Amino acid sequence: MAAVTTAARTRRKRNGSRSRETRAAYGFIGVWIIGFLVFTLGPMIASLVLSFTDYNAISSPRNVGWDNYRQMMSDPKVAKALGNTLVYAVMYVPTAMAVALCLAMILNRVGRASGFFRTVFYLPVMTPPVAAGALFLLLLNGNQGLLNRTLHLVGINGPNWTTDTAWVKPGLAITMLWGVGGMVVIYLAALRQVPKDLYEAAALDGAGAWMRFRRITLPMISGALFFTLIVQTIYALQMFDQAYTMFFGGQENSTYSNDAALFYVIYLFQQGFGFLHMGYASALAWLLFVVIMIITAIQVRVSRRFVYYEGERD
Amino acid sequence: MATSPTGLTATPAVEEPARRKGRRKADRQGRTTPPGTGRQDHQPIWRRAPYLVALALASVLFTYPFLWLISASFKPRTDVFDNALIPHRWRVANLADVWHYGQMVNWLVNSAVVGIAAATTVTISSAVVAFGFAYFRFPGRNVLFGLVLATMMLPQAVTMIPVYLIWNKIGLTGTQVPLWAQNIFGSAFYIFLLRQFFLSLPRELFEAARVDGCGFFGLFWRIALPLARPALAIVFIFEIQASWNDLLKPLIYLQNTSLFTMPRGLKSIIDTFGNGGEHHWEIISAASLIATIPMIVIFAFAQRHIIDGIATTGRKG
Amino acid sequence: MITRRGFLAGSAGALALGVTSACGGVSGKSKSSGGGASKGDTGAISTQGFGKPDDVGQARIDAFKSAYPKVQVNINEGDFDAQQFLSAVASGNPPDLVYLHRDMVGSYAAKGAIQPLDDHLDSAGIKTGLYRPAALQEVTIGGKVYGVPEFYDTRNILMSGTALRSAGLTAADLGTSDWDKLHTNAVKLYKANGGKISRIGFDPKVPEFLPLWAKANGADLVNPDGSPNLADPKVIEALTFALSLVDEQGGWSKFKAFRDSWDLFGAKNEFKKDQAGAFPWEGWYVNVLVQATPKLDLDSVPFTDRQGKPISFSNGSAWCLPKGAKNPAAALNWMKVLTSTDTWLKAAAARQATVEKNKSVFTGLWTSNPTADAQVKAKYVKPGTTGFDKAIQNYYASNEYAFSIAPSKAGNEIKTAWTEAANRALSGQQKPDAAMRQAQSEAAKAFSAVK
Repeated sequence: MAAVTTAARTRRKRNGSRSRETRAAYGFIGVWIIGFLVFTLGPMIASLVLSFTDYNAISSPRNVGWDNYRQMMSDPKVAKALGNTLVYAVMYVPTAMAVALCLAMILNRVGRASGFFRTVFYLPVMTPPVAAGALFLLLLNGNQGLLNRTLHLVGINGPNWTTDTAWVKPGLAITMLWGVGGMVVIYLAALRQVPKDLYEAAALDGAGAWMRFRRITLPMISGALFFTLIVQTIYALQMFDQAYTMFFGGQENSTYSNDAALFYVIYLFQQGFGFLHMGYASALAWLLFVVIMIITAIQVRVSRRFVYYEGERD
Repeated sequence: MATSPTGLTATPAVEEPARRKGRRKADRQGRTTPPGTGRQDHQPIWRRAPYLVALALASVLFTYPFLWLISASFKPRTDVFDNALIPHRWRVANLADVWHYGQMVNWLVNSAVVGIAAATTVTISSAVVAFGFAYFRFPGRNVLFGLVLATMMLPQAVTMIPVYLIWNKIGLTGTQVPLWAQNIFGSAFYIFLLRQFFLSLPRELFEAARVDGCGFFGLFWRIALPLARPALAIVFIFEIQASWNDLLKPLIYLQNTSLFTMPRGLKSIIDTFGNGGEHHWEIISAASLIATIPMIVIFAFAQRHIIDGIATTGRKG
Repeated sequence: MITRRGFLAGSAGALALGVTSACGGVSGKSKSSGGGASKGDTGAISTQGFGKPDDVGQARIDAFKSAYPKVQVNINEGDFDAQQFLSAVASGNPPDLVYLHRDMVGSYAAKGAIQPLDDHLDSAGIKTGLYRPAALQEVTIGGKVYGVPEFYDTRNILMSGTALRSAGLTAADLGTSDWDKLHTNAVKLYKANGGKISRIGFDPKVPEFLPLWAKANGADLVNPDGSPNLADPKVIEALTFALSLVDEQGGWSKFKAFRDSWDLFGAKNEFKKDQAGAFPWEGWYVNVLVQATPKLDLDSVPFTDRQGKPISFSNGSAWCLPKGAKNPAAALNWMKVLTSTDTWLKAAAARQATVEKNKSVFTGLWTSNPTADAQVKAKYVKPGTTGFDKAIQNYYASNEYAFSIAPSKAGNEIKTAWTEAANRALSGQQKPDAAMRQAQSEAAKAFSAVK
């Protein structure tokens, strides 16, 4: 008898407390939900609607149907901007990951000393992108910059990193490589999680260094690799701060444009806020969104086969 | 414990196997020592030397730009490109003059104010939301959290224009409010981070408090939050850094020069006095240095937090 | 959608209202009173785009402050920034005055970002006859005046006497009437060793001066009705010629990088260090040179078209009234005072004071106000025989015959189109004709898109 009533009371209490818990939960989460509606979902939908208009924020919007999208298809600057951005991403992301992984692996070998060096590598990450852009604009100067002077010492005639269209993106990649410290920290943490006995056993089995790297290190840190791949690609596809600082903005720079540095978000910014072509810029924004989604989806799909989670063994 | 892929269980090696030669093959000890220490420290220094040398070289590469920047800030304009590490001619006046090339004091203060506003709001709101996701069980929790994660990957450019138009309608473009006010609603990345932390808190703590009659908000305010101080510190510092570095928002929203943040101001100095102006590279260097120093100071004080925070994101990602 | 955004804005607005008071935000602009609006001698005005005023600028600001002491002036630092300005207008909180290059007026007028001034001019007592026709034409769109012009920059060729003599050339050898001869002599003046440029012979200054080269060849970049003329064969020919000069002097990448390394404004400038032979430039550079290197062996000739007739193109700045300006009456008074003959004389006196303090030379002041120009010249410009004096004479001469680019409702877009086309051609990404044809299609599209 008592058990039944207790059970019933518990059930009732559980149901009542369940809905109270739900209400409380939504009370906590509601903050984010409001923000999501106002600043994410709303704008995404508004952006879609705007992309079908011609709007300059001074007068009212004017419906133009698919004109913006048609213009996007035939605008050579869009192709250029998209191309630049993709080329840069392909150039930068694998290089950065490789460099960061190398540094992390070396750091993993030096024990306590790694703390000091890790700080050294991370420090540039604290530099504001605008300051870094300004600094490297000077360092990469084709004539007198530090990089080319150093290359000259070993007999190499460095290219004009800041003016030669073929070398602008590599120059930018060098600028960004200065900031791989963040990835180094992540990889180092991941490397330290790898059980040492795995290496021992493999070594005892006669596995060479490369084999151990491929069969043990890579799979065991694949989670971190996957994470940084996705994040860095998304960042690379939205490159703005450094490129804008170094190559755009200001009146003089408006005379010397360098198409090689026209990244997608920069073009979007110019169209939306420099010319107030807000409808067109919204169409551009959606194209970027679609491109990023596709690339991320591909990356996730492909990486799924390679990413190895600790708990999924055996 | 762990079995290796080859099926053998680990046996601690007693001494360095003789056939291991060369840099890549260090010897193995047991796993009992904490990561990153111990094992390698027991190795003779000459074994670690090649790695240390490599790291030293890399460190030079990474540090040199800073040194160049500092030295360029003290040179007269025509010497900036002589690339000498120690200036041949010192021009300490640069550090004094630079304050006249732009409203640097205003900009630093603005960045600090905006940064603190952004960090404070985002820390509190993200903590609230994170607690909601961590503690409660309710229908739709996983779907909603998936949504939160999805917004992490949303490119800012997609919502940039309508958000600007919203602020325009409210009449707050031209002020600093749009730079931080969105943080009142939390930010996906920090929600993710803090939720991880809250999940790690033992549930018994909360059960005990519930039994004592503590309300849900009390659980959050009086139990979870105080325990979360290290994680909150990480969030706070990250957001100060993110806000300090942001260029796009100030570009879009600020027109009054005296309201600029430091990076925005720095960009205007670069535009006015750089290539398009009188090639005042020494001033640009000095201004860049001044823009960076606060971040370095923060790093000096909060290094532990920052590194831990970064490492955590990778681990759980 | 508008309703939804309204709803969203409303909910966010409630929150925002609470925090609006927390931020300093928009200062001064909201303080303009309605009372003095009709006479324009009270309230506050704010400007944007008027950079850091030099001696000439400061003197004129002071002249306004003494003429209208009750008006509070707020000068926003920084040069004109298109995005900053448009954003301010779009937010409904624009400055009362915007200072921009005259070639931008057309586009902003078409966008509705600045207001026509005709009625205001009358009530403020500004006579358009006071200004040079070419300058006024640049700011007149569709028959309405949109700006009050000031400054008149024209271009001539400046050269280093030392460099000329070292190559056995005279100033006339670098004139622009005979393009083949110019090409040959430019290469003669050009010096490079081992792939590194040590002296540029003749810098054609493209893309900036493409209008000049095009006109020298008999074509205009913009037709009188504002439509673009970028694919004109004569224009392409001019671009090709300028390109050939650059290609023979190291190629664009090296050329530009070398030029970027010049100490343009300093004592070790490119003429002093023998890094440049000749280039066309605006008149204010003479002032820079005489202050930095007064003993320089400077020479100059007017820029001529291919028939030998001196030509030059001019542009300068203008004061415009943004849409939504809160204190237009005072703003118009500002425009009036800053460009009046009396004020220019005061400014010239301030410049003279600087000249005497630096023991330098008064190198000329070109104001878009011909009366002021003549009076300033008579009072302060001393005749002489040095290279600097010759240069000053040339600039005063070109002041009179310079042409300006036709205004257009798509002026900005057209300029962007040909600038970028020239950059593409220079960097070798496209051949000049393809580049200009692409520019023409972009510009034409922009032109027809503007209502």
